[in-house]
Amino acid sequence: MTRLSNVWSRLFRSYSIGLAVLIVIAVLAFLTPDFLRVDNLLNVLANASIVGIVGLGMTLAIASGMFDLSVGATAAFAGCIAMSLVPDYGILLGVIGGLIAGAVVGLSNGVIITELRVPAFIATMAMMTIVRGITLIYTDGKDLYLYGNPAYKVLTRRLFDTVPMPVIIVLALLAILSLVVTQTRFGRHVLAVGSNLPAAKRSGVRTSLVIWGVFTIVGVTAAMTGMIVSAQVLTANARLNFGLELQAIAVVVIGGTALTGGRVNLVGTLLGAVLVAAINNGLNLLNVPIFYQEVTVGVLLLAALAINVGHGFNPLTYLRRQS
Amino acid sequence: MSVPGDCGPPLLRAQGISRRFPGVLALDNVDFDVSPGEVHALVGENGAGKSTLINIMAGVYQPSAGTLEVKGRRMVLPNPASAQQAGINVIFQEFSLIPDLSVAENIFLNREATRGLRIDWDTMHRRTAEVCRLLQIELDPKVAVRELPVAQQQLVEIARALAFDAQVVVMDEPTAALSEVEIDRLLQLVRSLADRGVAVVYVSHKLGEVFGVADRITVLRDGKRILTEPRSALTEEQVVSAMVGRELVHTECPPRTPGKVVLAVRGLGSGKAVRNVSFELRAGEVLGLAGLMGSGCTAAVETLFGLRPMTSGEVMLSGKALLMHGPRAAIRAGIGYVPEDRKRAGILPDLSILHNITIGVLERIRRLAVIDAKKEQSIMDEYGGKLSIRYSSPAQRAANLSGGNQQKVILARALAENCQVLLLAEPTRGVDVGAKAEIYSLIDMLVESGIAVLLQSSELPELIRLADRCLVFSSGEPRGELVRGELTQPAVMALATGLANGQAELKLLRRDPLGQEAA
Repeated sequence: MTRLSNVWSRLFRSYSIGLAVLIVIAVLAFLTPDFLRVDNLLNVLANASIVGIVGLGMTLAIASGMFDLSVGATAAFAGCIAMSLVPDYGILLGVIGGLIAGAVVGLSNGVIITELRVPAFIATMAMMTIVRGITLIYTDGKDLYLYGNPAYKVLTRRLFDTVPMPVIIVLALLAILSLVVTQTRFGRHVLAVGSNLPAAKRSGVRTSLVIWGVFTIVGVTAAMTGMIVSAQVLTANARLNFGLELQAIAVVVIGGTALTGGRVNLVGTLLGAVLVAAINNGLNLLNVPIFYQEVTVGVLLLAALAINVGHGFNPLTYLRRQS
Repeated sequence: MSVPGDCGPPLLRAQGISRRFPGVLALDNVDFDVSPGEVHALVGENGAGKSTLINIMAGVYQPSAGTLEVKGRRMVLPNPASAQQAGINVIFQEFSLIPDLSVAENIFLNREATRGLRIDWDTMHRRTAEVCRLLQIELDPKVAVRELPVAQQQLVEIARALAFDAQVVVMDEPTAALSEVEIDRLLQLVRSLADRGVAVVYVSHKLGEVFGVADRITVLRDGKRILTEPRSALTEEQVVSAMVGRELVHTECPPRTPGKVVLAVRGLGSGKAVRNVSFELRAGEVLGLAGLMGSGCTAAVETLFGLRPMTSGEVMLSGKALLMHGPRAAIRAGIGYVPEDRKRAGILPDLSILHNITIGVLERIRRLAVIDAKKEQSIMDEYGGKLSIRYSSPAQRAANLSGGNQQKVILARALAENCQVLLLAEPTRGVDVGAKAEIYSLIDMLVESGIAVLLQSSELPELIRLADRCLVFSSGEPRGELVRGELTQPAVMALATGLANGQAELKLLRRDPLGQEAA
């Protein structure tokens, strides 16, 4: 009984996100012809990629049974670090500096979780406030601008004048992380930790190192997203990327990665990001006020969770509770 | 004690029950009945259809075919509430108590005694006390269920059934989480429920208990009823072969030829939990560790695997002192471990069988950073074949395997790590009778191949079957060693409890169905 319903729900979950993307595209194409214009579609993809990059990192965190609520703050922090370095040291060192900043925040999260034994939820929530604060101190609460320095624009340039840079970055990241997850020891260990931490430990997995690794990756992806966002607006400040953590978690969940850990769906995450970006874009084109977009994403998240949690749905306990 | 036959007409009768789930016929034309004053045991391996039948009696599932009669009247039970109204109360393995509410609140949940709008606490506490008196159990009506040990929580469930005026009580694996002594008390309680005229359906796969308490026994296999007979007409062997569907060869322990000492432990201690443990373990030998719950034998195994800090003593593995840095160090030194709690600490449910087996050896089979899929598969083939793990594909998720097969996967994982010493904690807990026999022969085979095994088990028959020698623990320390031949239940119990032989035997009645009858 449960086995069969599992098969159905797995089928449904594997294809539901792709199906949802197609339906949304069809509906939007029908409602507003502008939606299907090439540069609009590229725009959707670029926006999806920006959330998708940090979403891929978040997918690993969720696959390892954890969360990272500090990615929005980390993105803002890395954006500010990079932008402050670019004028004096150039684009390359600026970007490396931003990535290091993200890695340091991520690694700190991991160490706090394993060594101080603070649950990831709490540790990263505290880190969110700490990092926002540090960024405010670093920037003295002011905006950083980069007028007249075209170098930073490399992050938003289009390849062959068509494909936006974020899309290239997210696809490269997808390829690398897919390889890591399916082909490497670290990837296997991430899933083992997410599936059953005590069992992983007893199998000789160095669970603390795995968790440090996961959070470092999340931090780096957050930094990438943060730098791209500030390159887009040519501004960096401590308030950028507010709420990014929830967007990132939302696209992972909408993409079908189980919140219980142990399983991973990187492609799903990107499709989730495309779905959210397409809906937001469509609503814009339809002149729906921006406030409604927030509601839409929330409803989408609930729908995805209802399907996702259905994985652990046990008709027996459900019925017994009903009685 | 009631005798089958004089129990009068059945209180609950299920006739020709079939239940089809998409793709599976979980129950196939099953008849089952239970009379007032009778304990009717329902046994069968996992997947035999026991839980489906219980759920039909509980109103959770609807039969695809067949009828239910309560006191001779046809009944349809569309939901659990209607089953309760009909006097059928099911105590599921997973309790349905609310931990933060008190005993009385749980017993009267949804039927609270009220005076106007206010809950009438006095009446509720008084009636709870009455029910407890009836059951001859001691429970404080005001204490929160959370505070109670599992055994007492079980009593609350039973008290609730009785307070509901249940005429039929169905108990699903009620002793799964209980200790020896608690099991004895529970079985007495079941008997007294029956003597009070309640019809009891007792679901279990522990035959010792079933033979100790049941009047009649029904065996299910693959959804079909195989037999229903009075207990006095059956032997344990008959029931086992009905459950497994074949004669179970009762294998004896093969002769062993221990080699040189592999593991030497001197004065091992871990805080207060483990003290003064010294022994030598040879290649091709099984050393048993016995003891009641909390006696330190489980903790001793955990210390040897580095899961607990070693606070004193030394451990030599093949002549080299072992540094206790945790599980990883132990594995690298050549110690394999099969943990006691398979679900919590053993299996990686979301990972495939293949990945479960190779999780500890990925380092050995990688080329640069990438795992060598061919080598990985060959490890799977080697150990999966050796242990005859049954699966549909190596990519199958471990969560979907039976308990016995999961246990074999964990064994394969330990073996793949090339261990010389294998620590087995409760290796057959929660596995079928058939799988159990298979795991015993596997252990024989491994020992034969020269692996040294340390076996911690709370099942004495298991220790007797497998162990060459046995250390018996009590309050953190080994109290004595018994070699094969001396290894009997009274001897082990005498050391484990520190009592004289005669007194120890009293506690062991449960293990001996005849003793139960005499009691």
